[in-house]
Amino acid sequence: MPRVTSLSALRERIRRLEQPVRHGVLPFGVDAIDDALPGGGLALGAVHEILGVGGDEEDAATASGFVAGLLARLGAEPVLWCLKRADLYGPGLLAHGLDPGRLVLVRAARDDDILWAVEEGLRAPDLAAAVGEIGRLPMVAGRRLQLAAERSGVTLFLLRRWRNAAVAAAERGRPSAAVTRWRVSALPSAPPFQQPPLPRWGRGGEHYGDARGWELGIGRPRWRMELLRVRGGAPGAWDVEVADATGHVSLSAGLADRPAAPAEQAAPRAGAGPLSRRAG
Amino acid sequence: MPGPSAGAPADERPFATVAAAAGRRLVAAVNPAAAAAGLAPGMPLADALSFLPSLATAAADPEADGAALHRLAEWCTRYSPWTAPDGADGVKIEITGSAHLWGGEAPLAADLARRLQRQGVAPRIAIAGGLGAAWALARFAAGAGEPALPAPGAGRDALAPLPVEALRLDPAMAAGLRRVGLRRVGELYPMPRAALARRFGEAVARRLDLALGYAPEPLSPLAEAPARRVRLSFAEPVADPADFLRAIERLTHDLVERLVREGMGARRLDLAFHRVDGKVEHIRLGTARPSRDPRHLAGLLAARLDTVDPGLGVEDMILALYAAEKLPAEQLPFDPLPPPKKNPLPPGGEGRVRGAAPASPQLPPHPNPLPPGGRGGDHVAGGIAPLLDRLGARLGLDALSRLEPRASHIPERASVNVPAGVNPHPNPPPLAGEGVHGAIAALSSLPRIAPTLTFPRMRGREGWGRVGVGVNAKPPRPIRLFVPPEPIAAAWLLPDDPPFHFIWRRRPYRVRRAAGPERIAEEWWTAEGSASVDAIRDYYRVEDAAGRCFWLFRAGLPGSGPSGGPPPRWFMHGVFA
Repeated sequence: MPRVTSLSALRERIRRLEQPVRHGVLPFGVDAIDDALPGGGLALGAVHEILGVGGDEEDAATASGFVAGLLARLGAEPVLWCLKRADLYGPGLLAHGLDPGRLVLVRAARDDDILWAVEEGLRAPDLAAAVGEIGRLPMVAGRRLQLAAERSGVTLFLLRRWRNAAVAAAERGRPSAAVTRWRVSALPSAPPFQQPPLPRWGRGGEHYGDARGWELGIGRPRWRMELLRVRGGAPGAWDVEVADATGHVSLSAGLADRPAAPAEQAAPRAGAGPLSRRAG
Repeated sequence: MPGPSAGAPADERPFATVAAAAGRRLVAAVNPAAAAAGLAPGMPLADALSFLPSLATAAADPEADGAALHRLAEWCTRYSPWTAPDGADGVKIEITGSAHLWGGEAPLAADLARRLQRQGVAPRIAIAGGLGAAWALARFAAGAGEPALPAPGAGRDALAPLPVEALRLDPAMAAGLRRVGLRRVGELYPMPRAALARRFGEAVARRLDLALGYAPEPLSPLAEAPARRVRLSFAEPVADPADFLRAIERLTHDLVERLVREGMGARRLDLAFHRVDGKVEHIRLGTARPSRDPRHLAGLLAARLDTVDPGLGVEDMILALYAAEKLPAEQLPFDPLPPPKKNPLPPGGEGRVRGAAPASPQLPPHPNPLPPGGRGGDHVAGGIAPLLDRLGARLGLDALSRLEPRASHIPERASVNVPAGVNPHPNPPPLAGEGVHGAIAALSSLPRIAPTLTFPRMRGREGWGRVGVGVNAKPPRPIRLFVPPEPIAAAWLLPDDPPFHFIWRRRPYRVRRAAGPERIAEEWWTAEGSASVDAIRDYYRVEDAAGRCFWLFRAGLPGSGPSGGPPPRWFMHGVFA
């Protein structure tokens, strides 16, 4: 049926127009996430926006961990990281696989300067990627960056940091020219294993931490990655364990609200629960 | 070359500035009309007003005068970089070696006089073999339109008829000479030197030697004298950016020619725009590594052109090189294609194809447009150095840094920001544990500008220590570290407990999980460490209800508190990803 073929060809053409994956993709290595992204991974040579949640919108800590994990798997070339306050900590970046020696930090006080600096970075093909921490992102500026990234093949991650609640509210809802928009937030960590038995305290056999409202021990930290917007793909949300020393995330297990995922992706944890720690 | 008093109107009405001295009001400066009526600086204002009741006066402003003189001296650097203000009313210029650029001393003096008159300055110019002679001739021999230019060797005769004050003596000494009948400089010539020194002190003999050029008198210039200078003068004032661009190209070309000959590369440049009105505008910039690529340097200068206010026009542009480093000739690669990129892909990851990046992307116009040629550095060997230069030219080289590991237990000292233009640290110092040597080693490990810069060569991961896994690994470290740590209001129950609740940045947090403590003591063996108040810190990782993970520490021992000693204070030091 010529009609059908022309229609599918047209669809294919539109799809290609919509998703400029000319520079390849960086897969997450998790099928559930990669399937939601056009081309099977994060488009390179494009702009990706990463938002935080709540108080973390100010520090962008989870967002920078997320980006560090991606950068760790993105070649060995230098990375231009433009920020307003040089608070990145080398050992913390290394924990997510990013060699801090690859970073070139550019400090600028104003959003305009940061936008200018990352755009300069996007013209330098020797960079693996550029990262910009910005507050206000006008639509036109975002479009310029996207065009520059498409031309040079350098990937740009925009970490959105807001100090001011009013600005945050205005910017959160603003459309942008970025190919994807993520929101990464921390989840309560998985309960830790192999904790030494805790001394009993009090009458009821409850260990002393519980009496105070907090528990001792922090397990592997987890994130909720929300793909809020993606050009040519399907938005979704996944709960993952944070980027490890190789920069990989993995779907976390034992959560009721996680999306359906192949069983082999998640390492099942037998006996996971707070009680198992008191075996001794 | 006495300058004008700033702010004095140049019209024909008598005018004087007045300064208070010793309880009296004295005339500080007069304009020609007032001088013609017999007024002179130093006269009490009451006397002056009795001469000239119509005298207009204004308060003297020595600071503004000094600033104006300084500006004038800066403008005079177009004649020679060795230029400095001289006293309150003069500018001294060392023109040895630069007079020939104007065709000799007389044409130089004429050019200087003409340009100063155009700025509204009535100069008295003298050129002599030494500073002392020039000072004397400018103040006591030169007229408004006639510079004093004694022939070489004739300085002694030219000085002879001048009053003794021309020797830069203080007034009391000059009065002493006059009392014994010595009124002219020439009358001192036949005096025996020893008798002169005995009678009037060493100063008179020394001043005489300086004036006659027997003793050397160096001139310390206004600013650091540049290593190299190239200059471009325009036949008529120029204010068009396109002309500036062409001038920049020519200047950098000339400079680079010399750099190539000498095998050097530029690190610090200053492009001065000498405006018609005597003001000087500067573009100062540094490069991340030595460069002598004319297109690159011109691009950096051109990118900053919008910071220059040309005023009514610019008559001179001077490109001065303040710092240069050895830059051996580079062998250009035979293969014009960039080397293939090695991007290790994750196991199981899909291969990615990275298209060859276009060399010069045609982008839509930037809000802050760079002129053509501004992006000319891309072909320079050296990876991202041109990018760093472009960034540094606008944001300042201080804005660029890298993270580098340091051997320190103190978290904020373990990862430091070092200037991006500096070599990666060749060898981080060993853990400083041996008394004073540790402190010295740490000091000498401060980043220095190394003679050879190899920026794109990055350190490997060694030096950052092991984090996270393994037996000897440190506990996890946050991804954002606040320096200095931010104080928080915390509530806790038992002495060794982490807080169960804390307030940070006016937001309350309830702790759900906690790990720790990890005790980090100050490096007591360093002077800095032993003097620190927060000698012991107990770090806790705490997680709030939402799952955000923070790095808190308690400064001071947990036991102190109501029982004795100040209560421990809590700080937020970082946030985990």
